[in-house]
Amino acid sequence: MLLPKFKFHEPKTEQEACQILTEYGDKARPIAGGTDLVVNMKKKLMSPEHVVSLSRIASLKGLQKENGFVKIGACFTVADMIEAKDIRENVNALSAGAAALGSPLVRNLATIGGNLGSARPAADLPPPLMAYGATLILKSGKGKRNIAIDDFFKSPGTTECRPDEFIAEIQVLTPPAGAGAGYINLGARKAQDCNIVNVASFICLNKSGVIDTARVILGCVGPVHLRAPAAEKILMGEKPDKVLFRQAADAAKTDCLPITDFRGTGEYKRAMVGVLTQRTLEIALDEAKKNN
Amino acid sequence: MKELINLTINDQAYEVAVAPNQTLVDVLRYQLELTGTKKGCELGDCGSCTVIMDGKPVNSCLVLAMQAVGKDIKTIEGLETEQGLHPVQKAFVEKQGVQCGFCTSGMILSAKSLLDKNGDPTEHEIRKALSGNLCRCTGYQKIIESVQAASKGVSK
Ligand SMILES: Cc1cc2nc3c(=O)[nH]c(=O)nc-3n(C[C@H](O)[C@H](O)[C@H](O)COP(=O)(O)OP(=O)(O)OC[C@H]3O[C@@H](n4cnc5c(N)ncnc54)[C@H](O)[C@@H]3O)c2cc1C
Repeated sequence: MLLPKFKFHEPKTEQEACQILTEYGDKARPIAGGTDLVVNMKKKLMSPEHVVSLSRIASLKGLQKENGFVKIGACFTVADMIEAKDIRENVNALSAGAAALGSPLVRNLATIGGNLGSARPAADLPPPLMAYGATLILKSGKGKRNIAIDDFFKSPGTTECRPDEFIAEIQVLTPPAGAGAGYINLGARKAQDCNIVNVASFICLNKSGVIDTARVILGCVGPVHLRAPAAEKILMGEKPDKVLFRQAADAAKTDCLPITDFRGTGEYKRAMVGVLTQRTLEIALDEAKKNN
Repeated sequence: MKELINLTINDQAYEVAVAPNQTLVDVLRYQLELTGTKKGCELGDCGSCTVIMDGKPVNSCLVLAMQAVGKDIKTIEGLETEQGLHPVQKAFVEKQGVQCGFCTSGMILSAKSLLDKNGDPTEHEIRKALSGNLCRCTGYQKIIESVQAASKGVSK
């Protein structure tokens, strides 16, 4: 399986990358781990004239805990995310997302930036990142801008990132006391499959044990990952228990638009949205109680 | 246009002319004749092209040869020493972890990477570590037993 021809660039600094991306615009495409782009290029779904590797830029590979944020460089690998104590201890649902992605071989190459850049509605990292309300830092020759992850995905394969821009960093606010999150992906197999449905939930309890923030994110059941507004509305301002979570789960089923395909019928996926919403809320509640 | 690059494979330096659109597996097999690394699906699904890059097993069909410059690459050919086969290789022979052999290089390299980190893995940990390597012959049982045998040998 041959790759189409292209010119290859390996900038060593962010500034150099900006220059190259500005020069070639939509003829260029960044590459990080290549686990999505190389596959798409082999299948001839994409054939950029210029491929710009971000893998030699040291400043994109870091992980820091700073000012209440966990800051993850775009080229941080998914395998390293599973190992990272700062991620496990502060934003555990993101570790769960990383552990669910592909196989060990894929995870050793795959990066967080590439997972977001690929904008697949079934991807494993967007739901937990949306549940935590992450912010993406985009850079270009014109400077940098911050964008909320909820505003990042446009349609399958397209994002808010302009051709001259790249994702430099992902910032996740460390959840406050009383907060917790859960992530579950459902696939046909345990590794190497595409999700059928994936859900992440985040809740934060105030001092009286009432939910004052709720975010429920549904994957694989729309053109992009979806917030579940009806489910969130039911949770807000209430004390958490099984009955409330069941009501939220039922509401989540009305918040999505699953299609019938070879992975499952729309009806099945909608039912699983309910099951996973309930279960991820239970995980979130357990964690919220521990964090109090 | 081809460009001369330097690759370090099995602790040996190679200078090789490659085009940007050549993957590491193709350079290994067709230019350096290291055909122990197999080519199966070519899309990262099967793991038969597994090599160890900077200590981590990866699909060499998804790595551009130019991205491998400066990395320490180990292929199946690099496991044997003057003392003979690597303990994981020996265990696959002794425990009949090999049938047609196509997945074997990848299986062994994934297993070696696991045992380098964790000398005494559980069966579940072994199955997880090998989950990117598909075998269509053995039903996996003999492979798992081979890795278990090797882990006992390694930790002794
Ligand atoms: C066998 C297999 C199984 C897989 N299983 C899963 C799975 O279970 N779950 C899942 O979510 N994904 C899965 N994937 C898809 C893929 O591995 C992930 O999406 C991965 O995180 C992509 O990261 P990468 O660094 O390899 O991206 P690349 O392939 O390098 O890039 C992907 C896209 O993002 C763009 N891009 C990369 N970095 C940046 C950046 N910093 N800024 C802007 N754009 C950027 C590229 O231009 C490209 O369009 C699988 C892939 C394979 C081959």
